[in-house]
Amino acid sequence: MTTARQAAPQRRPTAGAGGDADAELLDTLVREALGWAERNRERFRLPPDASTTADPNLTLKPLGELAELSALIAACHPLPALRAQAERLFSHAWEETREGDLFTELIRGEPQAAYPVELYGVFARAGLRNTAVDALVRTTTALRGWRVAREDHTRTLSVLNAETRIGLPPHADFDAVLAHTGLGRLPEPWLLECRTAYGLTHDVFHLTDWGRDRTRLPPASAEYLRLWLPAWVDSWLDERVWDLVGELLAVTACLPDAPFDPVAWQRLAGARTADGALPEQGDPPPPGTGATDVFFACYHSTLVLAFAGTLARGAHPCANAATNVSASANPTANANPESEATG
Amino acid sequence: MTDQAQGAAALSAVIADAASEIALALRGEGDPYALSRILRQEDALAPAAVRVLGADALAPYALDGHPGADGAGNADAAMVREALTAFPPTGDTSAVSAWSYHGLVEASRAFLPAHTTRWPSPPEPGDDWLDTEPWPRLSHRVSQLASLALPGLALDLTDRLAGRTEDLARGFVRAVRRRDWHQSAGLGRWLARLPQTPPTLGLDSGLRFVRQMSDDPRVAIHVTAAQRFFGRGR
Repeated sequence: MTTARQAAPQRRPTAGAGGDADAELLDTLVREALGWAERNRERFRLPPDASTTADPNLTLKPLGELAELSALIAACHPLPALRAQAERLFSHAWEETREGDLFTELIRGEPQAAYPVELYGVFARAGLRNTAVDALVRTTTALRGWRVAREDHTRTLSVLNAETRIGLPPHADFDAVLAHTGLGRLPEPWLLECRTAYGLTHDVFHLTDWGRDRTRLPPASAEYLRLWLPAWVDSWLDERVWDLVGELLAVTACLPDAPFDPVAWQRLAGARTADGALPEQGDPPPPGTGATDVFFACYHSTLVLAFAGTLARGAHPCANAATNVSASANPTANANPESEATG
Repeated sequence: MTDQAQGAAALSAVIADAASEIALALRGEGDPYALSRILRQEDALAPAAVRVLGADALAPYALDGHPGADGAGNADAAMVREALTAFPPTGDTSAVSAWSYHGLVEASRAFLPAHTTRWPSPPEPGDDWLDTEPWPRLSHRVSQLASLALPGLALDLTDRLAGRTEDLARGFVRAVRRRDWHQSAGLGRWLARLPQTPPTLGLDSGLRFVRQMSDDPRVAIHVTAAQRFFGRGR
């Protein structure tokens, strides 16, 4: 089903953390995005050659993004039913890694690569550990070679965040690295283009641990974002780059008073396919597009939509950001989603 | 090309030539400025060009130390009066056009004081939109009024716009991202005049950037005006 859908009916804004967030619209978007992801769960499944010859951009990257964002939603969404939906997806992702055994294979194959550590960090943050992987990363991340500067400082923030999540000593000073990024430099807001805008959103995600700890955003950075996010959102709405708009709205939700932009959210709602997926940009895939192509055209932005809709919801139970969400994220430890309502 | 398109192209060319001369004069270069020296009075397109340029037709007179219209005063005043007579605001005139007309009258009174007897007194243009327009549309409109950003002119308007400085600064970001250099320069000129333009906008480098991204002489007027009158973008 790839025809464009009608925007969800406009509702009177209801009070949220931002004061005027349209909770009903946000919850609909999150519910339908997660529903789409659940119906497409098999497409996140790893092929047998995931740790050898498969293209990681088509296998591990989607799975990693599913894990990162569903973990956040499972921990932070105020509605138990949506947390439960996200938890099922997160559990699926952990099962796909064969409860972490995958990471042993990946790290043995590429001991210098950052991505297995970053991906394992997502699960480790939720308390899902694999003792063999823990021992292996302690060795590989202690190597001098691990500390050689990476080309991309934003990516280094991601690695540093993963080290913190796993409990490894950080290989560099987070603030010193941050100072070299877009969020550190605060570039002229009119100079931003797609690539630097994505860099900036990820600087915020890594700094705030994907919106869990919004107080880590320094006041000067928050003020910069408050001033210029509306211009960027408008700009990329114009260009119909829904994926980036979703990320920018997630960043907006990380600001101290979480301003809510009803027009932007309505535009994203209206850009979705009939079954709740959000294409990365432009029109939904035309009828007749193969299911695999539809999946790759939509999966990332659909997960981002669910993530942003969760952060924008405001009243989230993960306010105590430093707390690990292990119990709630482990399905065996938490049969009743209601039980971790404010964990 | 249709007659209408030919006419529009010819008018654009006249405006561009005049704008180049104005920008040159604002930089303190070229011959001493007079409107009647950069536009031929007998040119049938001159009144329309003056009306489009608005207060900027007289902008070089606002420079410190400029001797004023001098011997050209009568001729300049006649050209402006002709433009005001030929294109008065009517019931259908847009708010932007009404403001720009008003600005030209105001500039004439300020810069050609000895020559403005029996000058039209247009009604105050509508100003509700200054408070109510969402920032993208506000920015677009305000950029079209950049000729009013001259020393001593449009002081009330400036006060009103000061309350929407952040919105106009967002408009500048939007305009540069859209590579709409004319709109960018017009907004940059206003932001140069407003006292609370956010430092993280990078207005000074933004004005220099916009100036160098475009060969449009009207962009040059706006950026040079921001530099000469309001000390930004140097």
